[in-house]
Amino acid sequence: MAPIPPFSASEIAEKARRDLLLLLEGIRGKKNLVLEKALTGSLNLLVKFSTLQEYGVDRLFFLENDNVDSSQRNVVFLVRGEKAKTVMAVAEQIKRIRRDSQIEHEFSIFWVPRRTMVSDQLLESAGVLGEASVSEWPLFFVPLADDVLSLELEDAVKDIYLRKDPTSIYLSAKALMLQQQKYGLFPRIIGKGDNAKRLANLLIRMRTEVTAGESTNSGPSFLGLTPSSTIDSLVIIDREVDFPTVLLTQLTYEGLIDEVFNITANQAEVDSSVVGGAAPQPGQTGSASTSMKRKVLIDPKDSLYTTLGDSNFAIVGNLLNKAARRLQSSTERNQLAAKTTAELRDFVAKLPGYQAEQASLKIHTSLAEEIIKHTHTDIFTRSLEVQQNIMSGADPTTQHDTITELISRDIPLPTILRLLCLESTTNAGIRPKDLETFKRAIIQAYGPQHLLTLSSLEKMNLLQPRGGSSLGAMPAAKPGSVTNYTPLRKSLRLWDDEVNEADPNDISYVFSGYAPLSVRIVQSIIQKQTLANLIKPSSNPQASAQANPLAQGLRIFDDASKYVRGATFDETQTGEEKAVKARSMLNGNHSDGAKTVVVFFLGGVTRAEISALRFVGRKLRDVGGEGRGSRIVICSTGIVRGEGLIGCAVESGRFEG
Amino acid sequence: MSKPTANWEKVGDKFYRKVQLYTDVFDQDLELENYNVVGAPYGGAVAIYRDEDKIYAYRGAQTAKSSIDIYSCAGKLIRRINWDKGSIKGLGWSEDEKLIVVTADGTVRCYYHLQSDFVPFTLGHGAEEHGVQSCKFYGSGFVALLGNNRLVSVSRYDEPRPKLLATPPSDPVVSWAIIPPAYSLSRSVEVILAIGTTLYVVDATDAEDRDFTAGPFRHISVSPRGEFLAFYTEDGKVWVVSGDWSEKLSEYDSRAKTVPKDMQWCGSNAVALAWEDEVHLIGPRSVATKFYYDAWVHLLPDVDGLRLLTNEVCEYLQKVPDETVEVFRLGSDSPAANLLEASSLLDQKSPKADDLIQLIRPSLDEAVNTCIKAAGHEYNIHWQKALLKAASYGKSVLDLYSSDDFVEICDTLRVLNAVRFYEIGLPLSYDQFKRLTPEKLIERLTNRHEYLLALRIASYLHISSDKIHGHWAQQKVRISTDSEEAICTLIVKKLHGKPGVSFEEIARAAYEEGRVRLATELLNYEPRAGKQVPLLLGMKEDTIALDKAIESGDTDLIYHVLLHLRKKLPLASFFRVINTRPVATALVETSAHDQDRDLLKDLYYQDDRRLDGSNLLLTEALAQNTLGPSLDKLKLASKYLQDSRDASATFQRSALDDAAKLLRMQETFEKDLAQSQSSATPIPGASTSMYIGLSAHQTIFALLRAGHTKRAQKIQHEFKIPDKTYTWLKLRALVSARHWTELEELSKTKKSPIGWEPFFNECLAAGKTNYAALFIPKCTGASVAERVEMWTKCGLLVKAGEEALKAKDRGLLEDVRSKATGSAAIEVERLIGMLPGGRR
Repeated sequence: MAPIPPFSASEIAEKARRDLLLLLEGIRGKKNLVLEKALTGSLNLLVKFSTLQEYGVDRLFFLENDNVDSSQRNVVFLVRGEKAKTVMAVAEQIKRIRRDSQIEHEFSIFWVPRRTMVSDQLLESAGVLGEASVSEWPLFFVPLADDVLSLELEDAVKDIYLRKDPTSIYLSAKALMLQQQKYGLFPRIIGKGDNAKRLANLLIRMRTEVTAGESTNSGPSFLGLTPSSTIDSLVIIDREVDFPTVLLTQLTYEGLIDEVFNITANQAEVDSSVVGGAAPQPGQTGSASTSMKRKVLIDPKDSLYTTLGDSNFAIVGNLLNKAARRLQSSTERNQLAAKTTAELRDFVAKLPGYQAEQASLKIHTSLAEEIIKHTHTDIFTRSLEVQQNIMSGADPTTQHDTITELISRDIPLPTILRLLCLESTTNAGIRPKDLETFKRAIIQAYGPQHLLTLSSLEKMNLLQPRGGSSLGAMPAAKPGSVTNYTPLRKSLRLWDDEVNEADPNDISYVFSGYAPLSVRIVQSIIQKQTLANLIKPSSNPQASAQANPLAQGLRIFDDASKYVRGATFDETQTGEEKAVKARSMLNGNHSDGAKTVVVFFLGGVTRAEISALRFVGRKLRDVGGEGRGSRIVICSTGIVRGEGLIGCAVESGRFEG
Repeated sequence: MSKPTANWEKVGDKFYRKVQLYTDVFDQDLELENYNVVGAPYGGAVAIYRDEDKIYAYRGAQTAKSSIDIYSCAGKLIRRINWDKGSIKGLGWSEDEKLIVVTADGTVRCYYHLQSDFVPFTLGHGAEEHGVQSCKFYGSGFVALLGNNRLVSVSRYDEPRPKLLATPPSDPVVSWAIIPPAYSLSRSVEVILAIGTTLYVVDATDAEDRDFTAGPFRHISVSPRGEFLAFYTEDGKVWVVSGDWSEKLSEYDSRAKTVPKDMQWCGSNAVALAWEDEVHLIGPRSVATKFYYDAWVHLLPDVDGLRLLTNEVCEYLQKVPDETVEVFRLGSDSPAANLLEASSLLDQKSPKADDLIQLIRPSLDEAVNTCIKAAGHEYNIHWQKALLKAASYGKSVLDLYSSDDFVEICDTLRVLNAVRFYEIGLPLSYDQFKRLTPEKLIERLTNRHEYLLALRIASYLHISSDKIHGHWAQQKVRISTDSEEAICTLIVKKLHGKPGVSFEEIARAAYEEGRVRLATELLNYEPRAGKQVPLLLGMKEDTIALDKAIESGDTDLIYHVLLHLRKKLPLASFFRVINTRPVATALVETSAHDQDRDLLKDLYYQDDRRLDGSNLLLTEALAQNTLGPSLDKLKLASKYLQDSRDASATFQRSALDDAAKLLRMQETFEKDLAQSQSSATPIPGASTSMYIGLSAHQTIFALLRAGHTKRAQKIQHEFKIPDKTYTWLKLRALVSARHWTELEELSKTKKSPIGWEPFFNECLAAGKTNYAALFIPKCTGASVAERVEMWTKCGLLVKAGEEALKAKDRGLLEDVRSKATGSAAIEVERLIGMLPGGRR
C-alpha cells in the first residue's frame, strides 16, 4: 500500500470542504450566507454553489455590501476574524438586522481560519456575542493545482512588508504545523529572509508547544512529531529576498494571462468580446449576464492547458496550432475510418472529450490573441526592454530616458513604478538625485496623492535612495540588508543569454533570459549538481555528470546567501530515535528520490516561479532526484504579481473639489 | 455462594435482576422522602437537596441550613455546597459530571469537577420575570420551562447560548419530558408537553399538537435512546408509544388509585413506576412485577438500567444481559451453561468434565465467548471468576482461539471491581464503562481525588496520566500548607518534562488561591506562550504578558493584550510600553489606521515620526470632499515638517506646498473656464470638476486640449516641467482633441525636444496617415529601413520606394514592390529600374 503523499491537494481540499459542510449542516433550515469577498475565490474552488444550496444556503451576500436582508431566519457569516475591521463589520450588520427585522434571527459566525480572542472581545463590547453562535472553519491551504497550495491571504504582502504585521506569518506557521502534525516534522527547514526565519522559529516553537499540549496517549500525534520519512525538507523563501522577480513581466503563458487579465483563484475575468459570451463552460460560475466580463476558469486539470500554461508565450502560438491540427485530424480521420459499429461507439465515447478540448482550444486561442495584441503595444515592448536591460546588468542610468518618456506618455502608474522599483531593488537603491527627479516627475504626472504611494514603497524597501534610507539613521548598505545582484549574476548565473524558449534547458526560459533568484536559491538546495554544472561547466564533459566541486554540501547556497538580503537559516528537526524507526517501518522505506520537497513562499509566489519550479521538478524526476526529493510542492501565502505588489502601496484617493 | 439467579425476576418472558450495590447508604436520620435526589449518568455521583415544599422535623439550626450534598452511590459525602442563593428549580448532571443548578430567577450555576466552584450564566428570554418552573436535563444540556410556558434550551455548557423554543399554548403543563438531540429525528432537542388532554411536541421552530384525548398525562418518560415514549394517564394506565409516534406498543393498567411519584425507563425495555415504597416494573406486552421496600425509594435512571436508592440500599435494576441468561438460566442447556458446568466438574476432579466438553465441542468457541461476555456483565466477583475460569478451560481445549477478548475483559473487570469498591462508589456496569471510556473514568476518579487509583488504572490500561498529575498539582497548591518553595520544587520535580501537563492550569489554581508568587514561578515552566498570556493579564503582569504574546507570534494574542492595555493605561504610558516593541507598534498602527486616526496622530507625535504624521494629514486631506478643508489639512501637513531638515522631509514639504499651489490654480481655472467649457466632455476620471484633483500633467493636458495654451504654459513654468514632457503632453492633447491643423503647424517648426517619431506614431495610432506622413521626412534620426517602414505604414508605397531608391537599397525596394498593388506597383517597378544595374 502506498501511503498518501504528504501535502496532497485533493485531501486538503476534501477536508476543508467537509469541515464547511459539517458546519452548515449544524444549522437547521434555510440560511442566508454572508461572505467576505476575499473568501469567494477559495469557496468557489472548494464547493460548488449547488452543493451549498443542498446544504440549505438560500442566498449569498457580500459582507462588504452590507445588504443582507431578513428573508431567512438563519444568517450565517463566513469571514476572516483576524482584522478588527471585519469583526466590527459583522457586529454592525448583526445589529442592523436585529434592529430592522421583524422576525427573530439566529446568527452564526464561522471565523476563518480560527476564532480569535479579539473577535470575541469586540463582539462582546458590541453586545452581539451572546446572540451569535460562533464556530470556526479551519481553512488554511487552498489547493490551486495538484502541486500548488495557497493560503489565499489577500493582504499578506501588504501586512508583512508595508505594515509589518506578522499575522500572515503566524497563519502560515499554523498551516504548516497542521501538515506537520499529519505527516511528520520537516526533517530540515532551510531558507532565506528575515521573515522566513521568523516563520521557521515559529514552527520550531510550535513544535514544543504542541508537544506540551498533547498527551502522549494517542497514536498519531506520537508519531506526528517525529521527522517525516516522506518529506525531505521545507524551503522557505521570503518574498523580500527577491522582489525583482515579482516586478518583472512574466513571460509564461499563465503568467501573461495573470498580467493581462489577473487570475484570482484560478479564474480570470475576461471581456466577453474576447472569448465570446455564449457556450457556457464547465467552470463558469453563474455570473450575471448583464456584466460584460466573463469568468474563465484557468483549470490546471485541463489537458491542453497543462501543456500551455508553463510554456514561454513565444511558443504558445505554435502549441495551439499543433493542438488544433491534432484535434482536427483525429476527429476527421475517425469519422472516415469509423466503419464498424464498435469503432463508431469508441469514437462517440471520445466525442465529449474532443468537444471539451475544442472549447478549451477556442478559449485559449482567443486569450492568446488578446495577449499578443497587448504584447505588441509600444509601451509593453519599451518597458520589457528596460526590464531586460536592467536584469542583464546594464547600467541602469541608461534606462532613465526611456522611463522619463514613459512617464510623460501617462502610461499606467504601476508599470512605471514596477520599472523604478526594479531598478532600485536590483541596484541597492537609486541614486538620491535621480530618485528625487523621478519622484517629482511621478507626483507631477500622477498627482500629489502619490506622495503616499512613494512613501509606502519606501517603507516596503522597494524604492530607496542608494546608500540606505535617507533619514540617515541607517549606515550605508550593511551586508544582508540589500540583495547585491552584481556578484549573484555570475555566481548563480541569473542571466542566460542563450535562452531556448521552445525546448527549455534552464529555468531562465520563464523570463526569456532572467532566471528568478528565488528559484535559483531553491535549486542551490535541491538541484545542486545541475546548477553547479550550469554555473561552472566542467572542462571534462565525462566528469561533469559526477562530482562538480561546487555541488558539495551547500556551497552554492552559502556563497549566494552572503549577497542576498535577510537572515539565512538551516535547522534540522530530529525526534526520538525509536519513533523515527517506528515511522519508517510504518511507511516502508522510501528512496530519497520519491520524497517531497515543500517550498514555501512567504509573501506570495508568481506564476512564472511556479512554472520554473515545475521545470526543476520535472528534471529532478528524470534523474531520480539529486540526493533530495523530487516531488516539489509549492506553498505560499498567495499568488502575487507585479501589479499586486505595487498595488499595495498605490494610494487610490485623490483630491476632490 | 448464593445462586446467580437469586436476584432475578421474571417479567413476561424476560428476566430482570436487581443487583445490590451498596448497603447502609445514608444516615438513618436523613429523611430521604423530604429530599430531591438526582444521580449523574454512568453510576456517577448523587446530589440531594431538601425539597422546600415538604415539611420536616426541626433538628436545630445546624441542619436547617440549606445545602446541596453530593454523595457517591455508596453514600460517601463527596462535597457539601452550602446553598443560600434562592429556590432551586432544576438540579441535574451533565455527562461529564458537572452539577447544574437552576434557580427560579433563571440563573444557572455550573459546578465543575465536583468542586464548590461554579460558572454562572443566566437563561434570559424572560426567565427573570416569569420564573423557572422546572428543568429537564440530558447529557450535554437542558431545557427549562418558564412560568409563561416558554421553553429555553441550553445545548452546551462551555459556551451557553440559551435559545427560545417555539411557543406552546399557555394552558398549564401537567408534565413534560425531552428527547435529547442525539436521539430526536430533527437532531435538535424536542420537548413533549402534556397540556390539557393532549400532548404537544415543541422544537426550535414549531409546537405541534399530537391530538391525544386520553390525557391528562401525569408522567412522561423517554427511553434512554429515545426509541420509546411512556405516558402515565390520569386513570392509572401506562402507554408505551414508539419514538416516532407511529404506533402504540402497549398499555398497562396499574389499577393504582394514587398517581405514582415517578416514572422512569429501566434501560430501553421496561418502565418503572415508583410510589413511596413500592416499585412496579412493566415489561413489554404489559406484564409487570412489583418490588416493595420499607423506606422511601428514589429512581435514578441510567443508560442501561435504573438505580434504586433508599436509606439502606443502593440497588441496580436492569434487564439481565442475554449472555448471562444463557449461562445461568435454570435448566439452560446452552453450550455456555454446559461449559460452566464442565469447569466446576473439573474443579471437583470429575471425569465427566471432559464428557461435557466433548458434548459441546462443535459450539465451544461460542460458549467461550458467551462466558467471557457474561463475566463482564457480572457484579459478583465469585461468579466473575467462575465464568472466566470456564472460559479459560474452554479455550484451552480449542486449537485456535484469539484471547484478546478474554484479556480485555480481565483488565476491565479488575478496573470495574476496583471502582465499584464502596470507598470509591462508582458502580459502573460493563456497558456503562464502555460508553464512558476509560479516560473519562480516570477524570471522575481525579475529581474524587482518588489519585493513586487513577494512576494505577492509567498505567494498567496504558492511558496517559498527564491529567492526573496536573489535577494533583492543582489540588496540591490549593490545600498544601507547605512553604511555596517546597510546593514549587515538589511539583516541578514530579511533573517537569512530562508532556501534556499544563503548568498554566496549576499556576492558575495557585493564583486563584492567592499564591501569586508561586503562580509566577510555576508559569515559567509553561512552554505555551498562548496559555501564559491570559493568566499573566489576570495577574496584572501586563508587560510580561505583552512580551510573551509577542514571543508566541500570534497576533491575536498581541492584539488581545494591547486592547487590554489600551483600556487600562493612560495614553502616554501605553505608548511607552509599545515604543520599545516594534511588532506591537506596527499592530497598533495598523489597527489605528482603520479605526482610530487620532490615536495614530498622537503616536506619531510622541515618537517624533514627522514624515508619517505628515502623510497621515495628507491622507486626511484626500478624504475631504471640499477644497477648503483639503487645503487646510495640506497646510498642516506641510507645517508638521517645518522643523525637519533632512532631505526627504524637505522634499515632502515642497511637494505638499506644490500640491496646494496646484490646487489653488486649478480652482481659478475652474472658476474662469467652467462656463466656457460646460459643453465640452470632461476628461475621464474627473467626475464633478474639470481641473481640481488632476495632477500637473493632467492639468496641462486638459488645458491644452481645450486650447488654453497660455494657462498651460503657466503651469509648466510654475512647476518647472521639462520641455520634453511638455511637448509630449501637447502632442497627446492635440491628437486627442483632433486638432490636426495645429499639428501641421507644429510640423513646420524646426526642432522638437522629443524628436519627430512620437508625432508620427501618435498620428498613425489616431489613424491619420496623411498627418503622420508629414513627420516622416523630419525623422532624420531613423535609418532608411525604418523610414521605408514608416512610409509603408502610411500606405505611401511610392514614397517608400523613393526612400529606398535614395539609399540604393535593392532589397528594400523589392520588399516594397511585393507589398504594392495597382499603379503603385508599376511606379515601384519603375523605381527599381532606376537603380544602378537596372532591373536584373
